[in-house]
Amino acid sequence: MGPFLQYTINGLTVGSFYALVALGYTIVYGIIRLINFAQGDLTVVGMFLGWSLLTQFGIRLLPLPVALFLAFLIPMLGTAVTNVVILQLAYKPLLKRSLLAILITALGASLVLQNVVRLIFGPQIQAYPDIVPLNGFGIGPAHVSYLQVVLFAASILLMLALYLFTQGTPVGTAMRALAVDHDAARLMGINVDRVIQIAFVVGGLLAAASGVMLGIYYIQIQFNNGFLLGLRAFTAAVLGGIGNIPGAMAGGMIIGLLESYTAGYISSKWQDVVVFGVLILVLVIRPMGLFGERVAERM
Amino acid sequence: MQAAPPVRERVAFGWLRDTRLGQVWTRLPFWLRTMLLGLVAALVLPAYGDDYWTRVAVGAAGFAILGLGLNIVAGYAGLLDLGYAAFFAIGAYTAAILMVNFHWNFFLTLPVAVTVTGLAGAILGYPTLRLRSDYLAIVTLGFGEMTRVAITNCDYCGGPNGIINIPFPSVPGFTVDDLPATVAQGFFTQQDAFWVISIFLLAIALIFAYHLAHSRIGRGWVALREDEFAAEAVGVPTLRLKLLAYVMGGMWGGLAGAFFATRIYAIDPTSFTFATSVQVLILIVLGGLGSLPGVLIGAVVTVVGPELLRPVADQRILIYAIALILMMLFRPQGIWPAVRRKPKPFYGLEEDEPDKLAARILREHQEQEAREDKKHEGAGHKVAAVGEPILVVEGLSQQFGGVKAVDNVSFEVLRGEIFSIIGPNGAGKTTVFNCLTGVQRPRSGKVVFNGRSIRGLPAHQVAARGLGRTFQGIRLFRQMAVFENVMVGIYGKHRTMTWQALLHTPGERAEEQRTLQEARRWLQFVGMESASGKLATELSYADQRRVEIARALASHPRLVLLDEPAAGMNPTEKQELVTVITRIRDLGVTVVLIDHDMSLVMRVSDRIMVLDLGRVIALGKPAQIRENPRVIEGYLGRDDDEEDAIGAAGA
Repeated sequence: MGPFLQYTINGLTVGSFYALVALGYTIVYGIIRLINFAQGDLTVVGMFLGWSLLTQFGIRLLPLPVALFLAFLIPMLGTAVTNVVILQLAYKPLLKRSLLAILITALGASLVLQNVVRLIFGPQIQAYPDIVPLNGFGIGPAHVSYLQVVLFAASILLMLALYLFTQGTPVGTAMRALAVDHDAARLMGINVDRVIQIAFVVGGLLAAASGVMLGIYYIQIQFNNGFLLGLRAFTAAVLGGIGNIPGAMAGGMIIGLLESYTAGYISSKWQDVVVFGVLILVLVIRPMGLFGERVAERM
Repeated sequence: MQAAPPVRERVAFGWLRDTRLGQVWTRLPFWLRTMLLGLVAALVLPAYGDDYWTRVAVGAAGFAILGLGLNIVAGYAGLLDLGYAAFFAIGAYTAAILMVNFHWNFFLTLPVAVTVTGLAGAILGYPTLRLRSDYLAIVTLGFGEMTRVAITNCDYCGGPNGIINIPFPSVPGFTVDDLPATVAQGFFTQQDAFWVISIFLLAIALIFAYHLAHSRIGRGWVALREDEFAAEAVGVPTLRLKLLAYVMGGMWGGLAGAFFATRIYAIDPTSFTFATSVQVLILIVLGGLGSLPGVLIGAVVTVVGPELLRPVADQRILIYAIALILMMLFRPQGIWPAVRRKPKPFYGLEEDEPDKLAARILREHQEQEAREDKKHEGAGHKVAAVGEPILVVEGLSQQFGGVKAVDNVSFEVLRGEIFSIIGPNGAGKTTVFNCLTGVQRPRSGKVVFNGRSIRGLPAHQVAARGLGRTFQGIRLFRQMAVFENVMVGIYGKHRTMTWQALLHTPGERAEEQRTLQEARRWLQFVGMESASGKLATELSYADQRRVEIARALASHPRLVLLDEPAAGMNPTEKQELVTVITRIRDLGVTVVLIDHDMSLVMRVSDRIMVLDLGRVIALGKPAQIRENPRVIEGYLGRDDDEEDAIGAAGA
């Protein structure tokens, strides 16, 4: 029982990061049906922006809450702008063309981001400063660090905010309308381009938020972290039913837990096999993911 | 109808084709041409004598084989595969293990590697057949990662270190080991030998890929890529074809993998990552999806390009990625896009005189019917004679959530009649069609066609039983030429096997010719022969409808369901449509028609059924329907405002 609880706690922490990145995939996918492969690398961009702020620009001299606030805010703005720039330069002209062309462009954008990060911050592993104390408390035999609690709570809050945003605000409603039918949404007077931009802004904000959290949690970061992260997060989004916000959250948590249990009970070498095995199994039984709705085709 | 302007076929090096040598050349079969070109290539590069570039060229040839395989899956069948490197890996490890642990000859490992990867394709394909494209992308990606992780953790496969000391290819009395390693030591080097072998393998891969692409299978793949639903409904077994695409794609990957293993001397899991899958995908998209010359060009560009960027080694991936994005922005269709149209598709076929055509189609149709009837009766089923019910529907109900779209509908359609279903929007007409054709499984009720129940059969089998259909919104295969659209309609009648298509045997060629001839007749039948080489999207609305009708008729069905064929047509076009419909009936084909144009329905129908809110409210001869008070109240409108009602219904 002891290790099980510990694995669960660790899994939920990691899962909440995956969920945040997965939300970035899902919100973009829901609107323009694009698997934005750059999302994982965008997270790494945010990660490195936060790192350079904390290590090279001396914001650590400020009181801890202010420093943390800035270390999240500035990278989030940075990745939001980056994401919109990518949208305008690379995806926008292709929106009416084949989906495969955009997909390849997204792969290209992912490579570009990765190599720009490498160019600026170097190929070596960098380390986040340990700004948040590592101590914590015990639940029975399991240990929970305050950091885990804070990060978990922060990601839950972000997810909740996003959920309320899509369900309760006019822009959120417009997003959901776009997810169903672009042309009808346009005819109803929705500024489709603007809504797509907002989706990319949200995707960018989420990327840096999760990136900085990951950096603080894992300490070690490298320019090519984005691929595996993106892969897990995208798997999470699909597992939950891509385009579906609660689905992405649940998917992220499930993947985090699966990884943690596999690493604990079997071997970390087989993590990916278990994760993808479960994914394939779920899709065979429920082709639209756990929370996805079956879309009836009109003849 | 106005004669279509001649379509200029885009032929590269067209002037070369017009020379005498060019004419001899174009008459050679494809395999011979490929082999000859391969021979030239095999001789030229060693003569150039730069080992470095030969090595690069061998790499490009290997990638071209991979590209040909992925092109089958993603280019033809439209199944996005992001884990294609898995097949490459499985092929490479199979060959390496056989060569190192069992001391097999390289050439003997090829068939085994290809079989194993084909099986792997089936294993991947089977559970994923029903997934939509984006879900498929992630599952294939997952399959690729699982394969890589499994190989890395498998001690028998050498774990993370992989397999080393893989022998070079050999034939009795000669091995590549005997050759000098560099040009400085001799004229014909190890790399030159690899080049010759790679060209030979590439030629084989290319020839088979070409044969498949130009067979009924390739046509079926493209149809399912363009519109899976319509393909299934006109008789293409889409699930089986998808599985076949995975198997074939896997086999090509296995060939490339086996060659890679022997060439590279040592393999380890890092050669088979997601990056490899992406590179192959980029290769085929750059070249032009679904285009064989495109794959070759794409392989050269993606392999040679990074080599040229070697001086700026640090930034070459960045430059490469930017070039890729620019390419997608300015030429998303690829360098050498696939062209699926022909100005004169029927060139060299026997001509049919227009007046004899009708008689000929009639005779063939009757012969086919008689043959099938005999078989049908032999199997113990009842054959409906003319005037007897051919389609019997009893108590058909269908429900969507709480809405009863079709509620206990029963009717019979007699063989040889024109039976119309009318009713206001939302009355359940199309739902009835979908339940009849296997698109939807009805909640309850019986559907008996020609003496046998067809309820719950998949759509392509319903089509094969002799029930053709058209669609309310036109669903032609947009990126296929008109004649090919009609040829797809004949898919269910093909009798050749996959191996015959691969080898392009005389039997298969003869059947293709017959199919082409048949497609032409049906196009003539609906008056569209002159447009046969155009793309479906280039036609007017009314012409597209007529092509759809030809496609539905092409398999010689017993009964066709026409779903609002007159929608969007002007009065002249409607008049032509009436002619076509009566000609279909004259063939002996039973017609079931849905339309809102009352004057057309009243004119052509033998009997009419009126649906409202999913229920039958009247059934009878046109005159009876016109007088029926319930129909007048519910649908037609009273006498004094009949015109308005018809106008509104037709809009």
